[in-house]
Amino acid sequence: MSGAGCQVPAATGDGPEALVPGARPLAPDTWNPTPMISLSNIEKSFPQADGRLFVLRRISLDVAAGDFVTIMGPSGAGKSTLLAVLGMLDGDWTGEYRLLEHAVHKMKHKDRIALGKQYVGFVFQQYHLIDDLTVAENLAMPLSYRDVKPDDREAAVADTLDRFGMVAKKNLYPRQLSGGQQQLVAVARAVIHRPALLLADEPTGNLHSSQGKDIMALFRELNAAGTTIVQVTHSEDNAKYGKRVIQLRDGWVVN
Amino acid sequence: MIDTLVQDLRYAVRTLAKSPGFTTVAVLTLALGIGANAGVFSLMYQVLLRPLPVPQPDRLVNLAAPGPIPGSQSCGIAGDCGALFSYPMFRDLEREQTVLTGLAAHRDLGASVSAPDAAPFTGEGLYVSGSYFPILGVRAALGRLLAPSDDRDISTGFVTVLSWDTWQTHFGADTAVVGRELRVNGQALTVVGVAPRGFEGTTLGISPLLYVPISMRGRLDPGFHGFENRRNYWIYVFGRLKPGVSLAQASADLNAVYHPIIGDVEAPLQNGMSDQTMIQFKAKRVVLTAGARGQSREHTDGRTPVLLLFAVTGIVLLIACANIANLLLTRGAGRAMEMAVRLALGASRRRLVGQLLTESLLLAALGGAASLVVAGWTLSAVASLLPAEATGGLQFTLDAAVLGFTAAVALGTGLVFGLFPAWHSTRTVVMTAVRASAGQVSGARSAARFRDSLVTGQIALATALLAVAGLFVKSMANVSRVELGMDVDNVVTFAISPERAGYDTTRTRALYDRVETALAALPGATAVTSSLVPLLAGDNWGNDVWIPGFPTGPDVDRSARYNEVGAGYFAALGVPLLAGREFTLADRRGAPRVAVVNRAFTRKFGLARSAVGSFLSFQGPDSINVRIVGIVPDVKYSQVKDTVPPVFYLPWRQSSHVPFLYLYVRTARPQGALREIPMALKGIDPGLPVEELRTMPEQIRESVFLDRMIGLLSTAFAALATLLAAVGLYGVLAYSVAQRTREIGLRIALGADGPRVRRFVLRQVSGMLAIGGAIGIAGALGLGRAARSLLFGLTGDDPLVLALALLVLALVALGAAYVPARRATRVDPMIALRTE
Repeated sequence: MSGAGCQVPAATGDGPEALVPGARPLAPDTWNPTPMISLSNIEKSFPQADGRLFVLRRISLDVAAGDFVTIMGPSGAGKSTLLAVLGMLDGDWTGEYRLLEHAVHKMKHKDRIALGKQYVGFVFQQYHLIDDLTVAENLAMPLSYRDVKPDDREAAVADTLDRFGMVAKKNLYPRQLSGGQQQLVAVARAVIHRPALLLADEPTGNLHSSQGKDIMALFRELNAAGTTIVQVTHSEDNAKYGKRVIQLRDGWVVN
Repeated sequence: MIDTLVQDLRYAVRTLAKSPGFTTVAVLTLALGIGANAGVFSLMYQVLLRPLPVPQPDRLVNLAAPGPIPGSQSCGIAGDCGALFSYPMFRDLEREQTVLTGLAAHRDLGASVSAPDAAPFTGEGLYVSGSYFPILGVRAALGRLLAPSDDRDISTGFVTVLSWDTWQTHFGADTAVVGRELRVNGQALTVVGVAPRGFEGTTLGISPLLYVPISMRGRLDPGFHGFENRRNYWIYVFGRLKPGVSLAQASADLNAVYHPIIGDVEAPLQNGMSDQTMIQFKAKRVVLTAGARGQSREHTDGRTPVLLLFAVTGIVLLIACANIANLLLTRGAGRAMEMAVRLALGASRRRLVGQLLTESLLLAALGGAASLVVAGWTLSAVASLLPAEATGGLQFTLDAAVLGFTAAVALGTGLVFGLFPAWHSTRTVVMTAVRASAGQVSGARSAARFRDSLVTGQIALATALLAVAGLFVKSMANVSRVELGMDVDNVVTFAISPERAGYDTTRTRALYDRVETALAALPGATAVTSSLVPLLAGDNWGNDVWIPGFPTGPDVDRSARYNEVGAGYFAALGVPLLAGREFTLADRRGAPRVAVVNRAFTRKFGLARSAVGSFLSFQGPDSINVRIVGIVPDVKYSQVKDTVPPVFYLPWRQSSHVPFLYLYVRTARPQGALREIPMALKGIDPGLPVEELRTMPEQIRESVFLDRMIGLLSTAFAALATLLAAVGLYGVLAYSVAQRTREIGLRIALGADGPRVRRFVLRQVSGMLAIGGAIGIAGALGLGRAARSLLFGLTGDDPLVLALALLVLALVALGAAYVPARRATRVDPMIALRTE
């Protein structure tokens, strides 16, 4: 993958511009000392024959706006589950979760989904591009699901293609791209609607090390421009791109 | 919303194009299912639903007066005898009633038409009253239509109106046809107009060539004298309600007019009627029924077979939908990841369901478009199985009603087979799906249960159809084995109607002799004979009979069928004589009156085997002068399936009036005779049409066309249903084996051998077969009960047929399961256990 050409606008005092109607532009945390994310005693468990199996146990942590947090831990520690809770993809938990001024733990499922749509972007380990859609169409998909008008959608896709240096690839299908290029498209798709929060689950897990470095560098740029990032990774090298690390073991935060 | 639809449609096209195999199978399956339905719907619409192409057809009403109809009646295709009125009664009601805009009368007419510069042609026309066209509200395409002034007086309306098709076919759409003179049954009539395009009279089953004033029947049908006879019931009547008048109001008013006529005028004319019958006669009422579809027996006679066929094709479509639903569910399982990603990217479930439904509806639309071809084939198949006489007024093309039905069914099937798979495929726990590498989809168990239920349902439906088809096939076989009582395999028949061509009585008799002589001279001809009533053509001619010693009270059943036949009739048709002799050329006018009777006649009238020498009368108790000279066995008379009635035969040469004749030629070369007979007749009179020329086996086949049509079509549809069910079962089992490869591999690794593995797979089949078969048999019993009026020689619960249906389906199911079961035994445990 060519890392050149990925131009992320420098951070301004105004924060990322809202593209989706209703989304709030955010200021850096120096202007807003209240944490962006606040978890208090989050727990998730499954019933078993002889009791319950806990996946997350009394998770309490804060993430400030503009932070770049890495969640690490052995397999089965609950990392991806925690990411799913943060991204509103999993609603079956107890405890308190506040995202900005929203008390997520008090919201109905439908409202949580809407909140996630408004503020969150997700990057998966396996890219998960839609095979039958071109690069441009994959990018347009999140905007389409947010009822962005066709003209605005087209403009946003063109802008994102340009930012990520993929204009020449806009009509290609995922199978015609390398793994790194596909992950680049996946990252572009995750941020096209200018989310305040980007969640990444093993974003370089299927990439070569050089491709992985390019993706992590891109994350750093996005973070510098104001996007709050929470990533899950096994890689110590990837963790260095973040500002702090949270260790999970057996569902507990251990640091 | 339009933007979303366009996106979804574009994606649906791309997705379907990417899977040509799946798309082709699905579209073909739908085409077969929808097409068969559309074809049968066309028939059903025309027979049961289509209104007349006239303004406000819902305001038309048909009249009937069920009850005793003493005297003579001749029912036609427009209705049963209870719907007949006499001419005087029609005119009385027409004059006195106040709630209808008018009353119209009609009756079918056998027409032989000739015109200068046009080849003669024959067919059916309609006698109509002058009020017929005004009440219907149709307008002439050319010239004018018949009016009340055309039938004001008996036998003075020398005019006719051509049908649109006649004008196009026989007169080249010549606008100068108005004013031309035609000869109809030898009578000169002037063409005054052409009926509008698409109007084919008011009787389904008749496509009239032309319309003639009803008052002209005496001119076109020599020997008819029914205009003043109140005991001669021969016309059908309908009317149009005045604005604001309801059916109930009209009925009350009409009966207020009818009853006094019945009581004061007609009751006194009923000499010899028993008191009980007189009470029933005087209690007769005019019954009004909706007349939007016109008047025809085909509406009632065709109801059960058409509805049955429609139900059968509906079941085939359901099975097809189940197949598509299963295919979509399987594809949905493979798209779980895509659905999870879309949900994670912000799609709502409703949006995804909408996207998947768009794909289903696109499939359905493609299937619907392709189904029009299948619908055309279905209609062609039906047309080929119907005799010409049964197709009058029916069109075997795809019209707007069929297209609309096809579109609606396509839309409906798209929703039916698409909804559950769409709903189920979007029931995804996102993070489980995007992280799971084994591809296990949440809710897989519910999907598997649904798939198995669909296949069980398909098996049930296919079993029911197989059983019903088996019943009709057995019924058809029973019909084919009916003993006709005669040998007609090498007999050719045709008809001539000389009086319609202008022959008088003397010339007619001479003509018949010449024709018989010419036929006897044909190469291969071994016998020639003739009759007035055609064999096995659905005709019934009956009369009361008086026999010395047989009771003669007013309510005694003295009726018998009769036929007037030529010399050597029984020998020519292979009917042996049981006693006495048959007719010869000496049995003609002036010679002693003679008759031959059948065994049923001797049984009914208490005549012993020595009936030969007894006397009968068919003209009243005062002239019992017809001597029985022979007895023959019971020979089928009107219908193959009907019990042979009591029949007496008379020599037509002793009759005073023989306006037409059916001729029979026994020949060693039936196909050759079909070519040579028209040439022989042309040599006698080129202007005399040869009608209804065919072999007797063809005649018999046409007389049982309904049995053949239902038997063949239900078998074809049952075979299609079974094939679709087998495909569905194969699909489910193949998918199940693929999903359980690991489990099967583990079982093999733990010691399971081939037979055990096969039994493991087939256990799934046996469950579906047992439940589906049981439900199917129950369904078959219900269908059989509904169709019992169409079965011959068996009931709707024939155990052998039901058992055979189950057996066939079991064999088909095992056949469909064979490949997946065999594939399961070939699973390599090492590979399977490594596979995720």
